[in-house]
Amino acid sequence: MWKRDDNVRPPAPPATPGPMPAPATEAVPRPQPYAEKPQVNIGKSVIIKGELSGSEDLTIEGQVEGKIELRQNVLTIGPNAKIKAQVVAKSVVVQGEVTGNVAASEKVDIRDSGSVDGDISSPKVAIAEGAHFRGSIDMQRQGGAPVTGGKVSVETPKAEPKPAVPPTPAAPPTGVPKA
Amino acid sequence: MLPTEDERRSGFLERLTARLPGLSHDEAPGRGGEPRPSKALPRFLSRMSTREAPVLLDLGPVVGDNVAFFGERLGCKLLIEDLYADVERLTREKRFDTFKDTLEARLSVAPGSVDGVLCWDLFDFLDQGAARALAARLVTLLSPGGMLLGYFETAPSAVTGYQRFVVKDAHAIQLRPYGGSRRRQLVLSNRDIERMFSGLRVTESFLLLSKTREVLLRKPPAPGSEPA
Repeated sequence: MWKRDDNVRPPAPPATPGPMPAPATEAVPRPQPYAEKPQVNIGKSVIIKGELSGSEDLTIEGQVEGKIELRQNVLTIGPNAKIKAQVVAKSVVVQGEVTGNVAASEKVDIRDSGSVDGDISSPKVAIAEGAHFRGSIDMQRQGGAPVTGGKVSVETPKAEPKPAVPPTPAAPPTGVPKA
Repeated sequence: MLPTEDERRSGFLERLTARLPGLSHDEAPGRGGEPRPSKALPRFLSRMSTREAPVLLDLGPVVGDNVAFFGERLGCKLLIEDLYADVERLTREKRFDTFKDTLEARLSVAPGSVDGVLCWDLFDFLDQGAARALAARLVTLLSPGGMLLGYFETAPSAVTGYQRFVVKDAHAIQLRPYGGSRRRQLVLSNRDIERMFSGLRVTESFLLLSKTREVLLRKPPAPGSEPA
């Protein structure tokens, strides 16, 4: 009956006047939307000792000892992951355990199941209630100009102390445990 | 027998609180509920904001809101050393007497390298020896002109457990209770505080309706560095 003839093509659109023909789009890979960005996983049973670096977003569920470097990408440390490493990434999401220093150029996000023992350096740090953290957090701004909030201003210090309850010189020391 | 100065003061507070209908110790503003105003915090912040990238030492459990607040407000380096966790652990293990021996290792940053200390109400949970040892260590760690913010209960309490101090903004703090087996041990007067932090000066002291004294102490600046 009716069978499509592959040789019959729809008429080509009229050629647009111009010096350059339109480039063939077939040869150029199209940028993928964010949802389809390749996501690499390191599974629960994987143990890596050494240096791990790359240029893709990465989720780790296993164990890594050494160094992790994803300077342009997001590193997700899954709930089962145990990391003993120095971590450098664009952004780090911590749901598992990290022992070591974490540096991110954008953000470090420690979720409620996350634990970090080490120093964090990042312009933004979010820590959920229930998360464990021990160490230092360096959020020094790039550029150095201090941001002053609208409500806080530099005040002239007062010359004299102003205790709400005046101290009584005659009173004996009372700093004893009370039952 | 005449009451001591502290007893008189405590009685005054009882009467003051009793005059506020429906306001009990645990229902005071900011105690596990709505944020309560803080007068010392804005002064602490203004002092810290005059320093480039100040170093703050927080002796409480990590609180995400506080990290974001102090980081964004001051661009600071925040050292988190949850000594409440140590207090609780040593209490459970029935060896709290070793607390003071652990301080040097626990607070191991260089002397004079800390610009501000947030010790919240930690001192209420210590005994005298531990409180003195911790105060001496903090005085050593503070840089000249550095400040310490603390909260001290003015009446004894039998309630066990601790509370997180969550900074809501530059003028308000919310208290979020969380579990623990230790109750408050010390009731310190202004004079006790001054003696304990020998080397610091009480610059502000505010008595709050929640029977808490909000105290700001400052280490004298180096001569000629800035106005006192």
